[in-house]
Amino acid sequence: MDHDLPPVGSTAEIMLEVTHADTAPALGSGDVPVLATPRLLALAEQATVAAVHDALAPPLTSVGTRVELDHVHATPVGHKVVVRAVLVHTEGRTLQFEVTAEHPADRRLVGHGRISRVVVDRDRFLGRLG
Amino acid sequence: MPVGDVVRAEMVGNVLDVLAAPGRCVAAGEPLVLLESMKMEIPVSSEVGGVVAEIGVRVGDVVQEGDVLVVLR
Repeated sequence: MDHDLPPVGSTAEIMLEVTHADTAPALGSGDVPVLATPRLLALAEQATVAAVHDALAPPLTSVGTRVELDHVHATPVGHKVVVRAVLVHTEGRTLQFEVTAEHPADRRLVGHGRISRVVVDRDRFLGRLG
Repeated sequence: MPVGDVVRAEMVGNVLDVLAAPGRCVAAGEPLVLLESMKMEIPVSSEVGGVVAEIGVRVGDVVQEGDVLVVLR
């Protein structure tokens, strides 16, 4: 597959105001009503997708392959969290992102990690799965 | 490069409190900085005693693994 990969430095931000639907009890990942780690991860992946969206023309798209996320600070319901993804490295079809999450009010670090995605042809990818 | 006994962050986190003050004598094991990481408050201390020569962080800073928190002499 020969194509241009998105440029290193591509970035996007997602902001969420935490509701009860975003909490660990709602997602089944715990029983303390604060932002759930899987919800934070979903936001981080959403930011990576947004970061390269404009650079990947159909039929190309990307799929997630690896995540590494530290969730260092809790976010209560009603508080906002901003998640930023930056494309830091590309190799072959692999895209490597760094993600950080923080509270916009005081810039306190909420989470950070690395996410890998690979660029695929949507139809061929689905076709392989039968 | 700092000279002396260097206390570094062992993981990424938020600086919640700086307990050490320059010029103060501290004992081995005495908490110098309070970090928040993995949703826990983690007191960071030196393995040896000494005099606080330098403080590398402020409350509210985000530290990376390996960042210098305090230098003792």
